Amino acid sequence: MSKNFSRRDFLKLAGVGATTTAILTGCGPASRYVKREPYMQMPEYTYNGQSTYYATTCRECAAGCGLVVRTMQGRAIKTEGNANHPLNLGKTCARGQATLHGLYNPNRVRGPIKHTRGERLYAFDEDPFNGDFPDVAANLSWDDATQVIADALTKYKPNEIAFLMGAAPDHLFDFVTDFTSATGLNAPIRFGALSMFEARATLSKAAENLFGETGLPFFDIGGAEIVLSFGANFLETWLSPLPYTRGFTGLREGKTKQRGYFVQFESRMSQTGGKADEWIPIRPGTEALVALALGRLAFERRGGALPRAFADVNPKEAAEKAGVEFETLERLAVLFADKAGALAIPGGAALGQSNGLEVAEAVLALNAIPDNFGKRGGVYLSALAPTETEYHRPASPKEMEEFTAKLASGEIKALFVHGVNPLFELPKALNFKAALDKVEQVISFATFPDETAVEADYIFPDHHGLESWGYQRVFTGSAQAILSGAQPVVSPFYDTRATVDLLLAAAQLVGGKFAGAVPFKDEVEFIQSKTAPLKNEANGFFSAVDLPTFNASFQQYGGWWKTESAFGAPNTEDVLNRDFDGAEPEFNGEGEFYLVPFVSPTLAEAGANKPWLQELADPTTTVMWSTWVEINPETAEELHIDNEDVVKIISEFGAVEAAVYKYPAIRPDTIAMPFGQGHTAYGRYAEGRGANPADLFSAEYNQAGDILFGGLKVKIEKTGKKLAIPRLESMMGVYGEGLGEE
Amino acid sequence: MAEKNKSQAAHAHDDQHTQEHFREKHLMLDPLPRGQMNDMVMEAMTSKPTWKYWLTVIILGSIVLYGLGYSWYRLIVEGLGIAGVNRPSYWGIFLVNTVFWIGISHAGTFISAILRVFKAEFRRPFTRIAELMTTFGLVQAGFSIFMHMGRAWLSYWLMPYPNERLLWPNFHSPLSWDLLAITTYLLSSTMYLFLPLIPDLAMARDKSTGWRKTFYRILAIGFRGTEGEWTHLRHAMNIFAYAIIPVMFSVHTIVSWDFAAATRPGWNSTIYGPYFIIGALHSGMGAAAVVLAVVRGTMKNMTYFIRGEHFDAIGKLMLIISMGWAYFYFNDYIVQWYGGDKWTKALLHFHEAGPLGWMWLSMLIVNIAIPWAVLWNSKWRSNPWIISIVGILINVGMWFERYLIVPVSLSINRMPFTWRLYIPAVEVYLSLGTLALFILFYVIASKLIPFIPVWEVQEGQLAHKLSKFGRETVVTVSELE
Amino acid sequence: MATVTDLNISEVKLSEEYVGKWGMFINQDVCTGCQACVAACSMENNIAFVGPEDAGYGRTMNWIRIERFWDGEYPEIKMTSRQPMMCQQCGHAPCEPVCPAFATVHSQAQQLNLQVYNRCVGTRYCANNCPYQVRSFNWRDYKRPEPLPNQFNPDVTVRQRGVMEKCTFCIQRIHQAEDKARSEGREVADGEFTTACAQVCPADAITFGRVDNPESLVSQLTKQYEGLKHLPELGTLSNVSYFKGG
Repeated sequence: MSKNFSRRDFLKLAGVGATTTAILTGCGPASRYVKREPYMQMPEYTYNGQSTYYATTCRECAAGCGLVVRTMQGRAIKTEGNANHPLNLGKTCARGQATLHGLYNPNRVRGPIKHTRGERLYAFDEDPFNGDFPDVAANLSWDDATQVIADALTKYKPNEIAFLMGAAPDHLFDFVTDFTSATGLNAPIRFGALSMFEARATLSKAAENLFGETGLPFFDIGGAEIVLSFGANFLETWLSPLPYTRGFTGLREGKTKQRGYFVQFESRMSQTGGKADEWIPIRPGTEALVALALGRLAFERRGGALPRAFADVNPKEAAEKAGVEFETLERLAVLFADKAGALAIPGGAALGQSNGLEVAEAVLALNAIPDNFGKRGGVYLSALAPTETEYHRPASPKEMEEFTAKLASGEIKALFVHGVNPLFELPKALNFKAALDKVEQVISFATFPDETAVEADYIFPDHHGLESWGYQRVFTGSAQAILSGAQPVVSPFYDTRATVDLLLAAAQLVGGKFAGAVPFKDEVEFIQSKTAPLKNEANGFFSAVDLPTFNASFQQYGGWWKTESAFGAPNTEDVLNRDFDGAEPEFNGEGEFYLVPFVSPTLAEAGANKPWLQELADPTTTVMWSTWVEINPETAEELHIDNEDVVKIISEFGAVEAAVYKYPAIRPDTIAMPFGQGHTAYGRYAEGRGANPADLFSAEYNQAGDILFGGLKVKIEKTGKKLAIPRLESMMGVYGEGLGEE
Repeated sequence: MAEKNKSQAAHAHDDQHTQEHFREKHLMLDPLPRGQMNDMVMEAMTSKPTWKYWLTVIILGSIVLYGLGYSWYRLIVEGLGIAGVNRPSYWGIFLVNTVFWIGISHAGTFISAILRVFKAEFRRPFTRIAELMTTFGLVQAGFSIFMHMGRAWLSYWLMPYPNERLLWPNFHSPLSWDLLAITTYLLSSTMYLFLPLIPDLAMARDKSTGWRKTFYRILAIGFRGTEGEWTHLRHAMNIFAYAIIPVMFSVHTIVSWDFAAATRPGWNSTIYGPYFIIGALHSGMGAAAVVLAVVRGTMKNMTYFIRGEHFDAIGKLMLIISMGWAYFYFNDYIVQWYGGDKWTKALLHFHEAGPLGWMWLSMLIVNIAIPWAVLWNSKWRSNPWIISIVGILINVGMWFERYLIVPVSLSINRMPFTWRLYIPAVEVYLSLGTLALFILFYVIASKLIPFIPVWEVQEGQLAHKLSKFGRETVVTVSELE
Repeated sequence: MATVTDLNISEVKLSEEYVGKWGMFINQDVCTGCQACVAACSMENNIAFVGPEDAGYGRTMNWIRIERFWDGEYPEIKMTSRQPMMCQQCGHAPCEPVCPAFATVHSQAQQLNLQVYNRCVGTRYCANNCPYQVRSFNWRDYKRPEPLPNQFNPDVTVRQRGVMEKCTFCIQRIHQAEDKARSEGREVADGEFTTACAQVCPADAITFGRVDNPESLVSQLTKQYEGLKHLPELGTLSNVSYFKGG
């Protein structure tokens, strides 16, 4: 630099530099995103070095837990439970924690894409941990996207357009319901694999049959003194795991009572069963029989006339059929009869059998012995959420089959898919793929490049749950009626758009009845139109003088709920006044093993793309990153199968391969497999990992319309291959393997 | 002090035959003219390298480049993930090698210093070769430690150097003691190597030309061989010989404290200090025998200097040390077993019956059974082949012993949920690299340093003579120093 | 009872007389093993995921793990009480004296074992000497591809390969609460803040707080359940108490 460089020159140069910087930061493609802002121009709500907390709702499952997300300079840093939220009282599960790995997932759909069905949405190879696997770039503008939807709305007749949505009863579902009912489109269908594995249709049907009213039963475990659970995995993914876990803590260490006793009947020890004081591996199919036998024995203990429900069962025979000592049943019946707070819970694979409905009814009927209906420590009907007039459950698999048939027949020409990944979540037997091929136009609103998005013509990505507005009705788990509120905690990271906004824009574009059906400026206005009536409702936990204050408080507290209990007490007159035949269910297939598919407690149906969820040790087996098949060690020895041998599991409807985990707490005639892996898309951490037991299911249903996932018999074949399944536990230390013979 | 060495076949009527027998057997009784002996040593060193020599250099050099160069580079750049270390076996082969090479280095000092102090005459021709082993071995040990570190580029933080943050190493840590001990040992053993080398370097300087002359002139630091210089040299060597013995003992004791001071089952043993020393000597002696045999077999004129009697003597030492090792091993084992701690018992069971039980068994066979079976026989002891095979086996056995102590013992701890096997990965290349570098050092040194301390041999030969007492022919040694 | 200021670690009394500062009580009877604590800890503390190969080879980085064993034989088989294991923040920590670089030291103010990442040279001696095996070593620079690093907690260092790490009792939260209390001229109240694992635990199995305050919830629970320490025979003076339950 010359020594003649004057002060004036310096200022000029500095000016040029400053201008350039300002242009670069101001006009960057992501200038909307706060992190790119210079420190001096931070939005007023963001202080350097200080966190901002936003209340919202967790979208990882449909339960609707309240979250408070810590953000810093526009980034979401940590999710915590919303301590005010009556459903989860400040707690979250592992999936709620890992929701940030969804928000900042390296494989998200980054903008609207026109796409050839079947084409990859991101690059991928075998080792997802190294290298860069970019997503397919967006190739449409949002205006194009709006046009595409508007065209679809005009091109097809109303009954040729269908919406398939996730299980969560949220604002989008309400919007689409309003939109479709006003315009004559097909009403939206909600579905989720969790509700399938919970056999939620069976549970609510049983409640309806017994109590004469619709609704989802809620079991107050926390207030009980003895809990008999027939396969209900309430500590895992069942219905609303956080309140049930809280209930479990209450059962164990109730302040005013003794430590509660917990008995689990199931053929494969689940995470929940692992916490039981007694785990009783009854033979699959005998759950109803055992429940009835227990009912009869307990009734006999109490004295009085035997009700119709338990009259026909022979307890000794039942014990023999179930493979349990009769003394055990007697002992438990005495406990059940004598304790004040006795509770029986149906659930799990038992409901997914051909007699699933009877199992659910028989177990529910047991609760008539302590007559705990509507009482502390007993069975309630879940509180209806605000803005809800009756319980609306997600579609049962049977209804999904009917829907699939409609697609396959070509009746539906345009399908909008949001919040659900039917190609992964629906069993292969339903052949959704073939049905989808018949649909002229498939539009996915997927946040992640999942299997269904791969088969879509257009992907118009919605925001991630933490980037979006909304509310969600809490369908069970809390005594209070809750409408859980959601708000964006960060600006959208990619060029995504709220589906409601997109549909609104399309409706405006089409005009006519479509525009008239949803006369809202944007998503927020729609949401506020729905929540506004709550302002005037009594017993809200906050009150507001005017609507803006109400809306602000709704946002700030993460929703609206009532202060008093809204649990329903079931009508129990006829509970025991019915006949049970106690017949054993039909099992499909010629194999020698009962198959118990269970939902992976850490991954559930949509967690596989979050790397920290993949790396969490499974609560029962401590396996990470893979699928395994659980076999009793003695059976394995008979079959000359060892740990990590790959076996082929064959049902009459399909076959999958998985490595063996010799699981000591499973019946020798049963094998079990987790659901959650086996993706063929869905991002680099999910794809090509493990297998999906739902591929083995048959498209057959129980009376309530739930698929018979618990009613399969399968064969296993050795493949001669080995596959390491990563586990956290030590095989030497836990199983003594490789320590040498004594 | 005089050592008597009786021949069992001495008879008055065949004096001539007896004397021949003595000369043939004992270097000290088989003197050659000084000049000729000097020339022999110089020839061994300066003869033109053969293609075999270059091939060896190239092969060893490539192994060093791949093992120590490329693999270490990868280790530093990619992290220890490419090695086999895991939870709970946080220490793997690196620490095995560290202990192993420090063990090897012990024999050098032992042979040179202890035998010198006790005036064991058979030591004379091979002290140098043994001392080189100390220095070369310690270099490998040092490398192994630095390889082992997660952030090797910050290893200087372990040194007590003045810095602006007034941070010192933690002198509570056995690793700090270790570092000090090894550094002290490396420095003192290098000096101890250098002192007796001075007269030989001076000899080499006088007998060479060209770059060698310059090289040796610098190294010989002006040694002329005056009486005063010899007196000073003897004085210094004496001081070092005595001083280095406690250093040698302390080094391996301190290395053993890395383990003994820890809270791990199996490690926390008070006998580890002497047990490690005897183990070090065990492997060191074996290694010394192997090196001697290789030097004798590959270098010129070495059959004159290194004879059966030397292997015989080393073999006796090996046998005694093997017995000592067995004593300490079982002492350690039995007390640990008797203690009955459940984790220690699990560990001992794991050693014997676990997946590496074969290693435990072969350790006992090659460290105890084979030396005891073979080394009783003086004929077998005197055979370079036999003794070097036994030496190699003992080294394998001692390496196994360290492997059992480090990664195998680490597999078992007080948290059975974390028990896990250790499967070596890139460490194998790095280990081969250190081994190759150790040999390469010898190969290169053989062309630069007089391997035979020729002045010591000549001194010994001056002191020894055959005398007749009555009908008996005996060897007498006079005190020269 | 010792207070913070007069407690010199070299003079810490053995066994019952020792009182730490921050501590935990873990009720294994209600722990369901759901892994929420593991996930919360990993999110709070920027812990890397390592992928299946390393995870299966004992190289997981999680600072807390849930152990379970089996008791009995089928059909009379039970899972043992799930046992969350994290750094026990020993009063006499075996990891501390063995580090040659002073990278793991005892904090006088907090009575915690600190791991000084930028001082660590990776000898891994501390991890060997930890009887609870709760230290994690950064075997590699584990990749967290963009945009995952947006989630990083700015209060917690991201660790390089070759560095040891372990549970800190969420020391960033302790500091934050203490700073806040100091600026308001008061003591930190019991339950004012908690660690990520305790905060998330759906079963309330983990309770965190001041063990030197007999009124705190953690002290009360420890007393009520007669909480036990792991490996007390080693004299580590652990600050985490467990109730095993049935």
